[in-house]
Amino acid sequence: MDFSSIFDYTLIYATIRAATPILFAALAAVITQQADIINIGTEGIMLTGAFTAVCVSYFTGSWVLALLAAMIAGVVMAMIMATAHIKYKADICAIGTAINIFALAITKFGIKQFLGTSGSFTNPRIIAIPKIHISIFDSNKYLNGLLNNWSLMEIFGIVMVFMITFMLYRTVWGLRLRSVGRFPMAAKTAGINVNRMKYQVMVISGILGGMAGAHLSIGYSQMFTENMTNGRGFMGVAAMFFGSANPMLAWIGCLLFGLTDSIGGRLQAYGWPSQFVLMMPYIITIFVLTVSLWRKSVREAKIKSSLLTEQL
Amino acid sequence: MNEYIVEMTDIEKNFELVKAVSNGQFNLKKGEIHSLIGENGAGKSTMMKILYGIYPYDSGTIKVNGEKLADITPKQAIEHEIGMVHQEFMLVNELTVLENIILGFEPRKRITIDFDSARKDIQKYIDNYKMDIQPNKRINQISVGEAQRVEIIKTLYRGAQILILDEPTAVLTPQECKKFFEILNNLKADGKSVVFISHKLKEVMEISDRITVMRQGRYVDTVNKADTNTANLAKMMVGREVFLNVERRKAEIGDTVLEVKDLWTSGEKELSKIRGVSLTVKSGEIVGIAGIDGNGQSEFVEAIAGLRKVEQGTVLLDGANITNRSPQKIREIGLTHIPEDRNLRGLSRGMSIMDNLVAVKADQKPFAKGIVRNRKEIFDFSAELIKKFDVRPDNPYALAQSLSGGNAQKVVVAREVDANGKLLIASQPSRGVDIGAIESIRKILNEVKASGKGILLVSADLEEILSLSDRIVVMYEGKIMGTIDAEDANEDNVGMMMMGGISSEANKAVEAGGAVLS
Amino acid sequence: MKSPNKYINLLLTIVVSMLIGAVIMLMLGYNPLEAYFQLFKGAFVGKLNLGTTLQKFVPLLLTSMAFVISSRVGIFNVGVEGELYLGALAAAWVGFTFTGLPAPVHIVFCFAFAMLVGAAWASIPGALKAQWGVNEVCVTILMNYVAMFITSYLVNGPFSAKTGVPQTPAVAAGVKLTQFMRPSQAHTGLFIAIAAVIFIYWLMSRSTLGYKFTSAGLNPLHAQYVGIDPKKTMIRAMMLSGAVGGMAGCIEVLGVYGYFLDNFSSGIAFDGMLAALIVKSDIKTVPFMAFFLAVLKSGALGMERYTGVSKAIVDTIIAVFIIFATMEALFTFKKKHKAKKEASAVTGKEDQQGGLNNGF
Repeated sequence: MDFSSIFDYTLIYATIRAATPILFAALAAVITQQADIINIGTEGIMLTGAFTAVCVSYFTGSWVLALLAAMIAGVVMAMIMATAHIKYKADICAIGTAINIFALAITKFGIKQFLGTSGSFTNPRIIAIPKIHISIFDSNKYLNGLLNNWSLMEIFGIVMVFMITFMLYRTVWGLRLRSVGRFPMAAKTAGINVNRMKYQVMVISGILGGMAGAHLSIGYSQMFTENMTNGRGFMGVAAMFFGSANPMLAWIGCLLFGLTDSIGGRLQAYGWPSQFVLMMPYIITIFVLTVSLWRKSVREAKIKSSLLTEQL
Repeated sequence: MNEYIVEMTDIEKNFELVKAVSNGQFNLKKGEIHSLIGENGAGKSTMMKILYGIYPYDSGTIKVNGEKLADITPKQAIEHEIGMVHQEFMLVNELTVLENIILGFEPRKRITIDFDSARKDIQKYIDNYKMDIQPNKRINQISVGEAQRVEIIKTLYRGAQILILDEPTAVLTPQECKKFFEILNNLKADGKSVVFISHKLKEVMEISDRITVMRQGRYVDTVNKADTNTANLAKMMVGREVFLNVERRKAEIGDTVLEVKDLWTSGEKELSKIRGVSLTVKSGEIVGIAGIDGNGQSEFVEAIAGLRKVEQGTVLLDGANITNRSPQKIREIGLTHIPEDRNLRGLSRGMSIMDNLVAVKADQKPFAKGIVRNRKEIFDFSAELIKKFDVRPDNPYALAQSLSGGNAQKVVVAREVDANGKLLIASQPSRGVDIGAIESIRKILNEVKASGKGILLVSADLEEILSLSDRIVVMYEGKIMGTIDAEDANEDNVGMMMMGGISSEANKAVEAGGAVLS
Repeated sequence: MKSPNKYINLLLTIVVSMLIGAVIMLMLGYNPLEAYFQLFKGAFVGKLNLGTTLQKFVPLLLTSMAFVISSRVGIFNVGVEGELYLGALAAAWVGFTFTGLPAPVHIVFCFAFAMLVGAAWASIPGALKAQWGVNEVCVTILMNYVAMFITSYLVNGPFSAKTGVPQTPAVAAGVKLTQFMRPSQAHTGLFIAIAAVIFIYWLMSRSTLGYKFTSAGLNPLHAQYVGIDPKKTMIRAMMLSGAVGGMAGCIEVLGVYGYFLDNFSSGIAFDGMLAALIVKSDIKTVPFMAFFLAVLKSGALGMERYTGVSKAIVDTIIAVFIIFATMEALFTFKKKHKAKKEASAVTGKEDQQGGLNNGF
């Protein structure tokens, strides 16, 4: 096995590329987590977004409309979740799972009804999200490999990380959201409308989830396959837990998964059985989840311990 | 008419089947400190929560500054210059003092928060009312007294002219109270009006201008402080002469039942971490741990009962080492425990009274053979206990959540006392319990003591400690401040130790040989 | 007080979902009455149809029960699909590897090994949740993928029958369960499953084990205080849940196929989970809901054949069904709803500090 051909400079961009769909899903989960809502339905929102994007791109030839439609579809799914959970007191894991199942069903139905086939759909008429091509980079191998031909979404994903971080920790809205998620009663007695904020974050989550799906189907590739998200929504949720709902830290988690994904692909070329390679991201995710929660419990035990802290 | 800035008339409030308030009357004059008193469940807290908009009310009229208010929300209450400091502080642990104070009323620089201007404004309040706080610390890093000051500054920051304080002194020592009352008087001098909800009559007599009494959801009377005294107020609160001082029998002390040696355990707050506590309890005596809630008593009890890890030290029950053993094993050796939170620990609200009563022996004979449960035995056993301890309603199949506070506590007491252990830990046994149940629970504790068991009583209610204990141990900030025999103990010397100091009285008791200071 | 309401709610939810399905069908130009008629005909009329319904019922029944068991202790075990796969492969392996054993013994070994593997697999998320509070929904879903990859690797590699189709060698003849309703694939595993479910029902409601599960699930702090170790109990419940999932896989292999086929389950365990979710894990109604879902799934084939209405519509109706079913407060009358809101304001548990215990 040739390490240098696996771990070379192209791995950096490959990581970012693989991490991006998970990143949008992670951000969707982060924003709702700040309101104490675990968005288990991210997978379903993503899937719906992916399908809508392909459909609209195919019929209208415009990736902009497709992206917009995916965001709207995401919001619709998110609002179903939000209404069920906030107004009708549905358990969040139950309604999240229900949405995931619903998404599977309607996309399966949709692929038959609107695209006239089943299983998977691909067609040259699907317009993809454009890549940014900087021609001066073409000549330099490193600059080309590292910075050229980035998809719009990949750039936008990184921008979103910084935007959401700013929103959470510097704005009035962010402070109120953080209080809503940690101590709703305190927010209520401060005159904050807790439910309204919860609806707001679900809408944002729907937009981000829809974008995640769009990137998957018309950014990453140009096709839609049944259940094409294949757990990536859950990886996003896992990345959120990894980062303790902090956008920057969640981003690091996503990069980790992207890295594993990319390395895995390269290992396949060396005869590693495909199933082991495909397994790796999932196993790493579980491992990462466990470690981050284990570290959290150790940290808490330390803070509470009578032995370690200085006496006041 | 205009002399009243708040008028609440004929207020009615029901929660499903419970009548919380059925004849609520209250008014507040500008610039006065008006106490609203009553027992647990009298409706005083509910009245004020209605005023602050946390609960809607069913009927009646509310006027603030002459204006009639219908559907109130906290936001509207704040707009009408009403502020409320709740019993459980509305402070977000992970956010800083500053962030908590400005929450909902943040000074803005377009969409971002203007932290500098916030800091300046808060400093003004610190200076004006002489309230000492640290804006940059997180709430989980500050003391309870400081948290309360933060809550008050929060209401002032939001522009409150009317301050509602719900049982503010529950978390303060007698001496911290004095500081607190100074702050109240400063506020009064500044033209603010205060509603002071409490059931502590001495304090109410000290600080109030007028006093309104409520009993069982109904308005009783409003009096001027000058025209009344604590005995009078007590009678109005309870409706009958109250004799809570159950006669304390002289203890017939036997062998050591519980021995705790140099215990160290973790704590939810810095000041509640137990660092090196030792004590003993002998059979036939009641040892009372006095102390303000939050000084480590909860953690101490949990460590003994196997519900919290002992980090250092040993615990011996009847000679056997129970340090860090499982709660099941510790119970087998002879521990019984009335926990301080019956809803969290003591009962499983969603299960039947029957299942709750048999909980600690559910897999033993005769209630089960192997894994097969014997329902008839369980039913008979529960019916008997329900009768013996007068639990109402008396249906063993009823769910525990249908029980009132007092009856729920009776179920817990019944189960623990019937288990006939060697040591009974009773933690805050009268909390949230009506007076009738309190009397019977105290009687039961004395009976248990008389039957030769050892009792470790933990209570934030000093009166309860003084009336039941044979020996009093004072816990402060995770350590034992001192030990004092019942004959030598009174509210002053124990109260002094509760706040970390040593009074001349306590010193005298040491010299007389009756008290031990740590 | 909630019981009569519970069943009425369920009925109303079914009616509403079927109405929505009817609307969709109308919009697509189909006749909903005819479609539903063919649906139920396709589930019951004729040996093939009825048999298929019964055959589909078996794994649905077991996987829904598996989910009910774990939800007793408050764990959302979405990993039953993984347990199903691993149990199935384990049973197939025992089935084709050992020869010369008397059939009853051999069958027992198949079941035992399948249940063991399922229990072991489920104990992992159970332990992670009990010890560190790791969100089990995430972990179990991720582990499903791992389980499927493991079985895929094995059935395409060391366990392959090398026939070109990704399957294991056939199990020993005596081990295969009798199919009694030809030409359908209904098999005697049905009776094993029903017996198992009756046993589980007894276990959950009459045994000390069930009592401990319920106690730990309702209030783990109380359970710890009375001497029931909530962590151990959670893991035990998960193991039992996994064992039942493994059993479901075993029965599919021994009853329907006679060997392990890669990707044989198109989400059976998820459908079982749906049945449980719809009735909020009420142990008495779950078997009936599982049967109802089997009816829908089996009848959908007939419906598609005779009316052209796509199967995916049935899936959609079921999904809508669940969405409504999860809404606790949906069909409660306005007054009761207001009272509920206030009751929660009084206890205010969900409004208290420390809500973000999963993320922080």
